[in-house]
Parts: sequence; structure tokens; C-alpha cells
Amino acid sequence: MTDTRELVQHTEAINELLARYGVKFGLYKNGTFKEQLFPFDAIPRIISADDFSYLDHGLKQRVTALNCFISDIYGDKKIIRDQVVPEEFVFDSPGYLHQCEGQKPPRGIWSHISGIDLVQALDKSWFILEDNLRVPSGASYPMIARELCRRASPKTFQTNGVVDNRDYASLLRSAMDYVNTGGCTVVLTPGRYNSAYFEHSYLAEKTGAHLVSGSELTVEDGYLWFNGYDGQKEKVGTVYRRISDDYLDPLNFRADSLIGIPHLYDVFRQGHVALMNAPGNGVADDKGIYYFVPKMIRYYLGEEPILNNAPTYLPFYKDDMKYVLDHFDNLVLKDVAEAGGYGVVFGSKMTSQQKTDFIALLKKNPRRFIAQEVIDFLDLDIMDNGKPVARKADLRAYILMGEEPIVWKSGLTRFSRNPDSFIVNSSQGGGFKDTWVLSH
Amino acid sequence: MGIVSLINTDKLFWLGRYSERVYTTIRLFGESFDKIIDGNAEYIELFCRSLDIPNIYSSTEDYVERYLFDPQNPDSVYSNLTRAYDNAMTLREEIGSECISYIQLAIYVMNRHQGSQSPMIGLQQILDDILAFWGLADDMIPDENIRNIIKTGKRVERLDLYARLKRPRTDILREVSRLSVRISRTNLKYSSEDISRLKQLADSATTDYYSILQIVDGLVII
Repeated sequence: MTDTRELVQHTEAINELLARYGVKFGLYKNGTFKEQLFPFDAIPRIISADDFSYLDHGLKQRVTALNCFISDIYGDKKIIRDQVVPEEFVFDSPGYLHQCEGQKPPRGIWSHISGIDLVQALDKSWFILEDNLRVPSGASYPMIARELCRRASPKTFQTNGVVDNRDYASLLRSAMDYVNTGGCTVVLTPGRYNSAYFEHSYLAEKTGAHLVSGSELTVEDGYLWFNGYDGQKEKVGTVYRRISDDYLDPLNFRADSLIGIPHLYDVFRQGHVALMNAPGNGVADDKGIYYFVPKMIRYYLGEEPILNNAPTYLPFYKDDMKYVLDHFDNLVLKDVAEAGGYGVVFGSKMTSQQKTDFIALLKKNPRRFIAQEVIDFLDLDIMDNGKPVARKADLRAYILMGEEPIVWKSGLTRFSRNPDSFIVNSSQGGGFKDTWVLSH
Repeated sequence: MGIVSLINTDKLFWLGRYSERVYTTIRLFGESFDKIIDGNAEYIELFCRSLDIPNIYSSTEDYVERYLFDPQNPDSVYSNLTRAYDNAMTLREEIGSECISYIQLAIYVMNRHQGSQSPMIGLQQILDDILAFWGLADDMIPDENIRNIIKTGKRVERLDLYARLKRPRTDILREVSRLSVRISRTNLKYSSEDISRLKQLADSATTDYYSILQIVDGLVII
């Protein structure tokens, strides 16, 4: 039996320490940039060793299949030819990049760090909500929170058999080194006004990488170089990029990008640098593609999926459209192009006019939406004015791909502070918890 | 010595300058504030003139509030501390989270003491935080070049301030000596002739503060 009472008494002190270390995220409100502390609740999410073992197998299976899918899409496209995934869902996806056709990233890895969002239902079964493969963020928060929790309440960690999660930086560094083409490692950030800037800088510090902006890197003679103040330069072997595909290279992607590096993608294409995560992998974290992941697992691995998707419908299919219209009030509808908790609407919360407008939009562009059954999440307790109250929470699990996929024995548990909300995103006022994996 | 980019070199140098500016100007403010307590409001003008900043303050209260805490006043301690913070927070991988935390703490103290009737209490905590930051930088930053770029910024700023304040020759001599030792341990581009000239100026019987200021301001090329 775990006991977190002593730890919870230190909630305020831990939040003060988080503030001291600048654990914040950035937000734009009315055109103005603001930094906010990320509220921490000290009651952890606790995952037993058996439960983690189940998640471990399921997540490795899922990420392996997703990686096979991306390789296939930019290669032979067998899964399309075999009509397992309709081509509309691939080539219309904003994550699909024609520039990546024929591309083989170093060691064949497309998603080096995958952030898979899960929820636990009332019966304690787990469901996958989303696959985040592009630049999933958030691991730094439980990393530093654990460090501070251990300072605040060492006794808690002496007695509860919690697996230490402070190995994330070394796991990440191993993943960086595994694909390194020969040179130093950099974390490429869009800059301090990015919402996840704390994380960029913290992960650079903890992995011993250079934190760089695009202007500090240049392409010369087919290689990428990190330029020093006094004319020295160092070849770059791995770029852990925290900027999106579109902005990576103005000569290959968006021409108006001021934060990218001209010709970076050409260096990658020649195999002279590893970009992690690899450009083009967003084709697999499209909310529309999510529907097909169980099919991918069967197709590529010949296995039954261990972890289930939330029951999902694609209005693109006639039968599914009918189901969605018949059960509209019971479903949550998601715009596949949105992220961060935006573009998510609950049928039951719409006015009649909103419903009419939305259904018209859905019929006009069915590919743009997915519909899911509203899962009754298992609420987690958070402390509110000194009392425990139940709130919706999800779990982002991190899977790092090196020689083998490794599931980090922790994760980011986000919760809604609003009792009536399912939206847990930090940008919408949510907080976070540590995620304990027990050794027993 | 690892490679440090041009951008980070500039930030390290200015982190040193702004942290020193906050430290020394708080101490100077404390001296003038002590005199103002006794009704010597003319010290506000004297303070501003000595630092070569405009005297925009309409009263003693206005001076205390706006010189210390006004984020819109580019000469305020708040503005200088914010600039130190802006540089520090982008240097986490170079100087470490522990070092940055003391600049962050100073910002919190500054925010907490806005409008305080006892400003020196909060300012003392900021001085302590700056001292802790320098101590940690010395102790925890493994890269000698990085450490010395921050310290060079600090020495440049202190000499600049001391020259403006027309400090005694002994102070100037000591600061020139410290700067010349420190800058030689960095990869910063500077003219050794300028350092020699600074030493001559500091050593002469009558100190030419204006020439010292001119050399100091153009000493480091980033």
C-alpha cells in the first residue's frame, strides 16, 4: 500500500521550488506573450509493476507499428495498395510531406520520441487517445518534479518502492547517440517565446547538448555545422529539433520560415545528419490515421493490438457517418487538424444551432473530423484548498526509440482543474502530476 | 574548451554586465537613500548625474518607486534585473539550472516588494541572490571560458560604473587589474593595446575617467 500523505503536505514547497527553477510554459493571450507556472499536484498517479508491464508491451507494439507505417508510406506504400488504409487519409494529411518520398532516415527511425496519450476508464482499462509523434513535449516536467519531490519528502521514496524516473535524460541521450551520423548533438529551438522553451533548455542541459536557434547552424559542403563565436565550428550529427516540419528549412519547406536552416533537409536526405523526430512522421499522428493504428499492428506485425483505441468513428465512411449522426449527443468530435485540446467539441454541450452548423460542416468535409465515444475517465484526486477532489486526468507515456523501443518508467499526468472539463492541456489551465511506476 | 556560439557569448557577457549593474546600483541607491531619509532630496539629482541617467523623478517617493521597481523605466533596477534574467534563462545548458535559479529568485523578490515602504529589505535579498549567483557560477560552471566571459562582463561593467562615479584611483587600479586578468582567460576578441592603455590611465597621478570610459565601452568585440 502506497502512502503519499507526507509528500502531499509539501505541495506548496514543491511548487515554490518549481517556480525557483523557472518551470514554466509560455502562452500568447491577446497577442501578448506570458509565462505561467505549471501547477503541480503532489498526489501522484500510481501505476503498479503489472500494469506498467502491460502498458510497456502495448506501447512498444504500437510505436513499432507506427514506425513501420511511416517507412511504408514514404517507401513502397503496401498498406495503401492492400487497401488497409485509404490513400485519402494519407495524402490529404497535413503531416504527409511529399519531400520525404523515398527518404530513409538514419537507422530507419522516424519517431525517436513518441508521446502516446492514454486514459484509464472507470473499470481501469486503458485506452489510447492520441499518438503524438512530431515533437511531443512534456517529459521535463515530471523529471524535475520527481527531483524536487525527493528533496521535499525523502521518506516517501524510501518506503514506497517507486522506480526512479530521473533516467529520462540518459535515455534521450542514448536515442540521440544511436542515430548520430558523426558530430555533436544540438537541441534546435524556435526560441524563448515558444511555449515549451523551458523544456528545450532543460533537456539540452540534462543531455549535455547545445541549445541552438537556426541562426547558429549553417550548411556547408553537404554537412551541418554549429558555429562558435571565434570562428571555430563543429560538425553536427544529431539535431533534436523542437520546431515543426514546415519551419525546418525555408528552401525545402515553408519559404517564409525565419527560424529554419537553409538546406538542412538536403543534409538529412544525404544521411549526413539525423533529425529527431524525422520530418514527415506527422503523417502517422494525424487524428484520422489514429483510427487505423490497430489495423497497422495486425498488418505489419501480425499481432493483435494490446492497447485499445477509444471507440472511434470516421464520418468519411458512410456507416460511421450514420452512427455519428444517430448518436451525436453521446460523442466527442475532434478536428484532425487541431492539437492542444483545441478543436474538440462535445455533442451534448452544443446548442441546437451549433449542432445544425456543425453537422453541415461535417457533411461538407467528413475527412476533417473523427468522432469518439466519451470515455468515462477514472478521475484522479487532486488537492484543492487542502481537500482532495476528483478531476479528469490523462497520461502521456514516452517511448524512446534506439536499438529497441524503451518505455520511460514514468510519464506526464495532466489534469483538468475545472470540475466540468475533460480538457487537461496546460494551455487551457490544466496542471500536472508525477507518474509513479512501482517496483512491485 | 567547448564551442560557444556568438549569440551565447554575447548573452554571457551581458549577463555579467547586467548582474553587476543591478548589484552596484542597488548599493549606490542604498547610500543615497540613507541620505534622503534625513531630508537631503538633492541626492537624487546627484545620484542620477553620477550614473549619467536622466532625473525623471518628481519626488522622493517617485524616485524610490520608479528607479527601483518601474519596468517601463529603462534605467530602473527592475529593468536591469529583467535584462539579466532574459539573458540567463536562455543560457541554461551553458550555466545550469542552479545558477539561473538565483536570478529567478531575485525577480520574484523584486515583484514581491513593488511599492514597499522598506525597499532596502527586499533589495538586500536581491544582493544576496546576485552574490549567490556569482558564487555558484564560480563553483559550478565547469567551462573556464564560459565562467570567465561572465566575469569579464562583470568587470567591464564595474569599471564602467566606477569611472562614471569617479571612484578613487585605488579602486580604478584594482578593477583594471581584475579586468585584465579575467579577459585574458577568455576567447573574447579585444585589443591588448587597450588593456595596456587602461593600465597606464589607471596608474597615472590624475585619473582620466573619460578616456577610461571610452576604452571600456569599446573593449570587447562581439
